[in-house]
Amino acid sequence: MNNDVVTQQHGDYMVVRLSGEVDLSWSPRVRMAILDALEKHQGVGVELSAVSYIDSSGIAALVEGFQNARKSGRRFALAAVSPAVMAVLELARLDRVFPIVPDIDTAIRGDAA
Amino acid sequence: MSLPAATVLARAAEGEGAQAFALLAELSETLAISLDLRTTLPEALNRIVDYMAAEAASLFLFDPVENVLECKVCVGPVDLSGLKLSPEQGIVGLALVQNAVQIVADAQNDDRVHRRVDAETGFITRSLLAAPLATANGPIGVIELFNKRGGQPFDTVDAGILRLLAAPAALAINNARMARELLEQQRLKREFDLARRLQKALLPRRRRAGFPLLAVNLPAHEISGDFYDYFEMPDGRIGFVVGDVSGKGLDAALLMTRAASLLRWAGKDDLAPSEWLRRANEELCQTTHDGRFVCALVGYYERSTRVVRLAGAGFPPVLFHMGNTYRELPSDGPPLGIVPGISFGEAAVALGDGSLYCFSDGVIDVRSGASRLGHAGVRSLIERYAGSPPESRLRSIVQELRYLKLVDDTTILLLEEPRVHPPEVYLRQTFAAEPERLRGVRANLRLALDRAGTPPQLRDRLVLAVDEGCCNIIRHAYRDGTGDITVSVRRDGDMLEFELRDAAPPVDPDCVRPRDLDECRPGGLGLNIIDTVMDGWCLQPRPGGIGNVLRMWKRCPLPQEEDQ
Repeated sequence: MNNDVVTQQHGDYMVVRLSGEVDLSWSPRVRMAILDALEKHQGVGVELSAVSYIDSSGIAALVEGFQNARKSGRRFALAAVSPAVMAVLELARLDRVFPIVPDIDTAIRGDAA
Repeated sequence: MSLPAATVLARAAEGEGAQAFALLAELSETLAISLDLRTTLPEALNRIVDYMAAEAASLFLFDPVENVLECKVCVGPVDLSGLKLSPEQGIVGLALVQNAVQIVADAQNDDRVHRRVDAETGFITRSLLAAPLATANGPIGVIELFNKRGGQPFDTVDAGILRLLAAPAALAINNARMARELLEQQRLKREFDLARRLQKALLPRRRRAGFPLLAVNLPAHEISGDFYDYFEMPDGRIGFVVGDVSGKGLDAALLMTRAASLLRWAGKDDLAPSEWLRRANEELCQTTHDGRFVCALVGYYERSTRVVRLAGAGFPPVLFHMGNTYRELPSDGPPLGIVPGISFGEAAVALGDGSLYCFSDGVIDVRSGASRLGHAGVRSLIERYAGSPPESRLRSIVQELRYLKLVDDTTILLLEEPRVHPPEVYLRQTFAAEPERLRGVRANLRLALDRAGTPPQLRDRLVLAVDEGCCNIIRHAYRDGTGDITVSVRRDGDMLEFELRDAAPPVDPDCVRPRDLDECRPGGLGLNIIDTVMDGWCLQPRPGGIGNVLRMWKRCPLPQEEDQ
């Protein structure tokens, strides 16, 4: 699967849909996409169902987005997290840190995880 | 013929036998308080004699093993304690056999009465009453009353009351017996535990890697009759013993401890194996008199020449396996501890790169379906795992034996010089230290780890950890510079080893530490992932002042081969 970032606007909420392998070659772009979305919207949901691999640099991009949103009072969630990503989140003990929701619609509605 | 219990109870309730009720309650309490029947039973019998206005009484207990009724408690002018009667004899026997109260109004003219006691003691029995000590599992004894004071005979009301009064006595005796059995079981369990601990303490400790002897012992029951031992001689040879004691249980365990100590000491005396067995046999013949015996195999292994010298006493043949050939070395001496003055043969084997398997007969006797495993089954078991290193081979063989049915204690001792297996290399790849190359490297790593037999979930974690190592080299070691990374994956036994070499400026290993995971911040996770996934890692500068080597390792045993 090719690496890709697709953004989708839902009113004041931005969905960032990632696919492929989020590694050192790709994570800077992912980071920029997330931070850019947070700058212009009240909420950002990162959809991860099509991510087959993520390394610590990809995780770092997600952490930075989450911290940025918290500081500026915006909503941030990870949605439809693939097993490959969940395994790394658990390894880094971050599975309880991020707001994680089962699908992007839940993220848009702002339901608690 | 006695009245039914309901009638007796009804009369008692009407006041006619209210005292009987009171006595019944007292007896029940007295007998329930203590399990020591030596004091409570005579007391209970005295109370019954007083209440029933009898001149004498006896309490007989039935011994089903000897088929006799024995007088255990006695009240009255004549002491009958210890008197044994056949269940076919007299009124007591009838009460037991028919499990019913017997009344004799005129003992002098009743053929059912056994008169030997009167003849021997001078006591004159006029009237008799005998009630069985009834339990749910049948009568366990009889209470017999002699002569009602005042001269009149015992009647049916007496019979009903005695049957009632016998009930708490029967219950108390039963309880006491069960308590005794329980105590006996606890005592035996303590003895078994002690014997088990003793046996475990006798088995030698596992040696460091590279020691040529490995052994395993599987008890079929609580205590094993098998044992093994090995020890180093002052001249560097290794002495070894495998033994199997006849019989089961505690006696066999005690003989095992004695035989194991004896064989160890005789072996340490630097005797030839045949003499070693001869001496042990003489000693065991002098001290073993209950028909028990010991099968044993003893020997020395000299590492410098790789020669084994051994001798056997009633032990199954030793199996020597080298390449594709098997050779059985018979162990034709008789077992130890039976006949003194016997001499034993000896055998020598050039071990070379072969393997010597010493099995107790429990291995041969393992059930495979309806048949025994036998020598052929043992060979195919060895064949199946011949490619594995000694430790995992023995473990796999034991697992299979457990899966089959052990009918006897099972011991295997394996003598084999550790082979130097060159590590198998699964991947060696040099690539430019650029992020864009990592995807291809990960794909190659996955393929290599699949070939190395790594389970998928572990494989993905290992790929992640190695990828993190590469990322750290690219970002922190080379920084803005360029260079190559060489990644290699190899297996050494159960260990997967990963190595990343770079040509970057040397990194101070002390500065490379995983961060605290409790901090939630974007960077610095890579080392944590390596630290969590791998069993160990180390970073060292390469000799010559250029480059670093990151070594990581993870224990990952080879998957077991499928059954053929």
